[in-house]
Amino acid sequence: QRFRFCGDLDCPDWVLAEISTLAKISSVKLKLICAQVLRDLLGEPIEYDKILKLTSDAKLESGDVKATIAVLGFILSSAAKHNVDSESLSSELQQLGLPKAEHASGLCRSYEEKQSPLQDRLRACSLRLSQLGSVRWRVDYTLSSSELQEVNEPVVHLTFNMRDRECEKMTAIPVTLSANKFWVLLAGEALRGVAV
Amino acid sequence: MLLVLSVEHRAHLGCLPRAGDAAVGELGRLALEQLRRGAAPRACESAARKLNISVDIIQHGVEGLVYLLTESSKLMISEADFQDSINVLGFSDELNKSLVQLYLDNRKEIRSILGELAPRLPSYHSLEWRLDVQLASRSLRQQIKPAVTMKLHLNENEDRTAQVLQTDPATLLHLIQQLEQALGEMKMNHCRRIVRNMK
Repeated sequence: QRFRFCGDLDCPDWVLAEISTLAKISSVKLKLICAQVLRDLLGEPIEYDKILKLTSDAKLESGDVKATIAVLGFILSSAAKHNVDSESLSSELQQLGLPKAEHASGLCRSYEEKQSPLQDRLRACSLRLSQLGSVRWRVDYTLSSSELQEVNEPVVHLTFNMRDRECEKMTAIPVTLSANKFWVLLAGEALRGVAV
Repeated sequence: MLLVLSVEHRAHLGCLPRAGDAAVGELGRLALEQLRRGAAPRACESAARKLNISVDIIQHGVEGLVYLLTESSKLMISEADFQDSINVLGFSDELNKSLVQLYLDNRKEIRSILGELAPRLPSYHSLEWRLDVQLASRSLRQQIKPAVTMKLHLNENEDRTAQVLQTDPATLLHLIQQLEQALGEMKMNHCRRIVRNMK
């Protein structure tokens, strides 16, 4: 059977298996655990101790606690990825066996509140090869050189600062252009009557 | 098969009878810690002070023990062969017995540590992908050119490296088809027979 929140594909077996674990936790605690998982998905640090305390009542083993976090993370991020509204998510979770009254509706209400920030965050995390940080420029005027006594030509120095996503490093790429070359860059064509 | 101990190795192990039988237990423990966690000069110093022997001799003794244990575990030599190999050192029977016991007790653990030292090829960590459509470029306007850009993250000896790849959808489908054929090969009789025999 196909589910929208799984991208119109079958639900993965491990998610089906963990739904019963989710049903063991009371709905109030489930909503609080959801809030923690959403914090993690939005890039804030997750408070694992709080989750351990919340799950201690349901007497879950440590493997089950991690599975709960994983399955909630999958449901919420996958629903945001495929832009599923909270009503459809609720009905699909009920089809999977999550009790409606509190569990599914509580989960979906948490999802609905954070759907936009979650989608913005996922958009920002999408693959990007490199990013332009800033451009700096300077115009010099060459008076003379060892080759020619009177040069009198402007020269443009540009520095592109590129940010590499993972290393958070800025690499500087310096470029030096003569005035005519700079016109080509700017206008896409040479100034009338000037050889480049 | 017998272990052949070099002259230098024998000299290093020669400190063991001087240290006394009780100390051998301590040196054995230090040797195992060094295998598990790497050299610990401070532990050697405190052992030297306790046993009243110079630090260098303790260090050499521990290293000698480490080498003896790793070589024996690597080759998985039997108890009898180990006994014969260390007989050549001329130690007392007590000492020989404690060394053999040390070897037998820790052989399995040492083998699992040695197993982790084999060189590894870069392994898969994650794959990010992106689907783009090129609409125009400086040279040509009004195009429709789809492309899939992928960033393959690999684990290489504790480092993370990334490889960027780009392809058009047709090549990607061909790539997927080739990989599925490779997986399908596992289901053929030839592979099945070998896998059954290995189990």
